Amino acid sequence: MKPVFRLAVVFLTLAVCGAVFFVVPPAEGLGNLVRIAFFHIPMAWMSVLAFVMSAWWSAAYLRRRDMRDDARSCVSARLGFLFVLLATASGAIFSKLTWGAYWNWDPRQTTIFILILIYGAYLTLRASVPEARRRAVISAVYSLFSCLTVPFLVFILPRLTFSLHPSPLLGGSGRVEMDPVMLAVLAAALADATLIYIWLLRRDSAAAKEESLHEE
Amino acid sequence: MLMFSFTSLAAVSMALAGSVPGPRLLAALLWVILFFAATVGMDRIFLDEAAAGTLETLRLYAPATAVLLGKLAGAFLTLVVLSALLVPLFLVFIGGSVGAPFLFLSVLLLGVLGIAAAGTLTAALSAWAEVRAGLFAILTFPVILPVFLPAVAVTAELFAGETVNLHYLVAMGLYDLLLGVGASVLFDYVWGG
Amino acid sequence: MTTGRVTLRCAGLRKRFGRQELFGGLSFEGHGGEILAITGANGSGKSTLLKLAARLLIPDDGTVALCINDVPVAPEAYRSHFAMTAPEMNLYERLTAGENLRFFPSSRGLTLTDSEAKRLLDRVGLPAEAAGQPVGQFSTGMKQRLKLAIMMAAAAEVWLLDEPGANLDEAGRRMICREVQGAAREGRLVLWATNDSTEEGIADAVIRMGRGESRFPQGTDQRASL
Repeated sequence: MKPVFRLAVVFLTLAVCGAVFFVVPPAEGLGNLVRIAFFHIPMAWMSVLAFVMSAWWSAAYLRRRDMRDDARSCVSARLGFLFVLLATASGAIFSKLTWGAYWNWDPRQTTIFILILIYGAYLTLRASVPEARRRAVISAVYSLFSCLTVPFLVFILPRLTFSLHPSPLLGGSGRVEMDPVMLAVLAAALADATLIYIWLLRRDSAAAKEESLHEE
Repeated sequence: MLMFSFTSLAAVSMALAGSVPGPRLLAALLWVILFFAATVGMDRIFLDEAAAGTLETLRLYAPATAVLLGKLAGAFLTLVVLSALLVPLFLVFIGGSVGAPFLFLSVLLLGVLGIAAAGTLTAALSAWAEVRAGLFAILTFPVILPVFLPAVAVTAELFAGETVNLHYLVAMGLYDLLLGVGASVLFDYVWGG
Repeated sequence: MTTGRVTLRCAGLRKRFGRQELFGGLSFEGHGGEILAITGANGSGKSTLLKLAARLLIPDDGTVALCINDVPVAPEAYRSHFAMTAPEMNLYERLTAGENLRFFPSSRGLTLTDSEAKRLLDRVGLPAEAAGQPVGQFSTGMKQRLKLAIMMAAAAEVWLLDEPGANLDEAGRRMICREVQGAAREGRLVLWATNDSTEEGIADAVIRMGRGESRFPQGTDQRASL
């Protein structure tokens, strides 16, 4: 990864942090707590993106049989696991402070919890298959198999329970009811998180490939 | 498998000591017992063959599709027999009454089919793992949640005597189909080189 | 055999077990009608090579391909062209010899008649009444003979033999030599892992593995094959 890229990411991260604390106005009803959302939403976005990318590289591995794809899939899942834990923790704190309970099995909480389970299962499986090539196939198959839950999470789960999450962001009503400053900062935060993900992924994939071929 | 499910049934029954829980809790207990009873037997589908040394012989001679279908059908039948023995005992010793036996039967069959379809693939995956304690349940649970959660919801409605949301049954059926197709496509990779 | 000329091509094979590497980029080609002996010390990778050929194991590097009349066979159909006997490939102990003999070919869609089954048992030197006995009661040598009968029943173009004579008496080893030569005459390709100089003598070519020292500790091979 080029130093320019790293510098840019560090600068963007500082800028986003600064904006979150000094530029974003306190939201109506939420006050300063709204600042948590600028950490929570990018983390939740990253945990979903890392999941999709991990499955994508799993499919690529099964098609091309290139161990680099396996390494990327693995690193993406490890990062996703970290992001999903951060998203859950920040979400639970936000939830406690605003709605009074850490956890209430709201559809998005359930979704993220299922993601934790899937990531955990995937990483446990990887840790317990000793042979590198076999591990690559087995974990790729599980990664793709777990993707079958996605239609359920998107279409059915929201009907099983009711949601406390604000809908305008992901609700698809077409109209975004948000302060333009907040929106801009949120977009920057999402972009920043994505860049951090790319950075970590590039950094770890090469190392993970070596490791996967030599460990037993 | 059978003894395990009787033991867990007895544990729940004794712990409740005669008090009858509400429909939601009853439904949850029933499906939790069923799921874990299934995991106790199903994790061995391929493991027993690996231990006996017949897995490699089977891999060499038998094509993937035939093996998957055979193992899936075997798992499904085993789970049907298990539920046929377990569920009546559950209703007698723990509680719950069902006004719509046909619907109840459909939920049971659809739920058990989902466990069989997902479990056959995950059992194959775990046969290659070295540390196996609990791995099968860890792998299977997230994948069958889309069948498990609606199954609990519908069973709770049945125990409560409410009208059942038939969409859940349709969704369960579709998801079973998805699991079956997904398992058969992916099993080729597990079985192959 | 009427399926046409088979060619097995292995190129640049490498397989790692932990920090040990096998084969060092081994390449070879075998054709229908040939007997290839694979020799080498214990742990040099003879069994692993056979498993790579059957795609039971995946190489870390290199390719394994089977062509029939120069057309590569599809991955789904790949293994159906192979039959194999190996010490760690066991039969169903609770089933009878006859049931085992019918089951494995039937999983490929081949039906064995009673007389065919009887003739196969006779060829490998098992008495006809053995068909009704559970394999669990068989001696090691009898199991080995039954595995050979199953291999013959599978109608495969390529035979993979992993030290098939190890548990057999003199007559049994002669039977294997006779069957292997017969298979080659019918146009099959035989890969034969062996350290017996007589068996090596009937081979058309010999692939010598390793330098003689054990490349990995005892037991690694077994686990990797699971």
